[in-house]
Amino acid sequence: MCVCCGATLYQNRPASLVRVTSFSMTALLLMLIVHTAPFITMDAGSMRTTLTLPGAAKALILEGAPIVGWGVAIFTIITPLVLAGGLVYVCGPLMFGRRAPGAMVVTRWMSRTEPWNMIEVFLLGVLVSLLKLGHVAELHFGTGFWAFTVLMFCMAAAVAAIDKRELWDRLEVAGEK
Amino acid sequence: MSGIHKGVSRGAKNGLAGCHVCEKVSPVAVVHCPRCGSHLHLRKPDSISRTIALVIASALMYVPANMLPIMSIRELGVLTESTIVQGLVQFWNAGSYPIAIVIFTASILIPLLKITALLWLCAAAKGMVPHSPKVLGQVYWITELLGRWSMVDIFVVAILVTMVQLGNYMRVTPGPGALAFAGVVILTMFAAMSFDPKLLWDQLEKEATDGEIEPISKQ
Repeated sequence: MCVCCGATLYQNRPASLVRVTSFSMTALLLMLIVHTAPFITMDAGSMRTTLTLPGAAKALILEGAPIVGWGVAIFTIITPLVLAGGLVYVCGPLMFGRRAPGAMVVTRWMSRTEPWNMIEVFLLGVLVSLLKLGHVAELHFGTGFWAFTVLMFCMAAAVAAIDKRELWDRLEVAGEK
Repeated sequence: MSGIHKGVSRGAKNGLAGCHVCEKVSPVAVVHCPRCGSHLHLRKPDSISRTIALVIASALMYVPANMLPIMSIRELGVLTESTIVQGLVQFWNAGSYPIAIVIFTASILIPLLKITALLWLCAAAKGMVPHSPKVLGQVYWITELLGRWSMVDIFVVAILVTMVQLGNYMRVTPGPGALAFAGVVILTMFAAMSFDPKLLWDQLEKEATDGEIEPISKQ
């Protein structure tokens, strides 16, 4: 416990590296599905539109809101990718006591990008939109939606499994070998 | 007062800095963290001025974010523009109370609370209001945690713009309010990141010793 503010300083998290690596690898694979498979399909009369994550960012960029569009791309595509990819890259070799080249830089970038990962917020956005659209048209959930839901849990589990301090300590020890 | 424990010496007084990135404690004189290479500071540089500047910017953006339409809907040639509040009222009138409450919290309440909380934290760190760092530390933590959820409205616009492209029947396009609102969320997140909660403890220590020690925030 911190003597100043009473916050918990250290928590023992069993097998944290194995957990982080496996959850983030799963997350990377799920991202492939999420970005290619349709999220939701909407049928209105004879017309059909589908939603994908990159599609949503692209639509904003094309419809006159390029900055917001890039924001959406960063928060829902790029940040989770950096986070999951970085975790696999750093924690994978670390399981065997090795430090991947540039692991320190990657870890620094991960701690910077972490607060900008907003996939769970996007999922809430999907639910709100569904309620808005429900009366307009017929909606079908696609593979992408279910993959995204699992992705959200995987990312949360991966991030929750890291002990930041332990990770840095291990990196330091691995580098000295 | 939830005071500082007697006999506990705080790092900054001994020239020790905790790295902002990897939390390793090193003498501040070495400039760069020996472990991760980040720049070392006793406290985040110009923490309060930066936070205040970002909070003011986001408070200014909050006005157009709520006044300007975040999207426009063209249905059978008729153009309707919709602001955040109008979207909210629509849900409320349609009887979707839970979703209306979620949107109200994420889009209106959280940004306002965040702006107030950050101003309060800055005032407390300057010693302008009496405070308990323990409580305010938790306020800070909650502020950082909740900020991202305000983005939900932007995502809703993104999804509607993508899906509602039904030719002449119905089309949704993003409005200028979306940019302003995204600005509010991003700026408040940066503001929360630039605030250093350790300043709250420095202030408490300064009050306890009647200003005998030099303020450490000079670095």
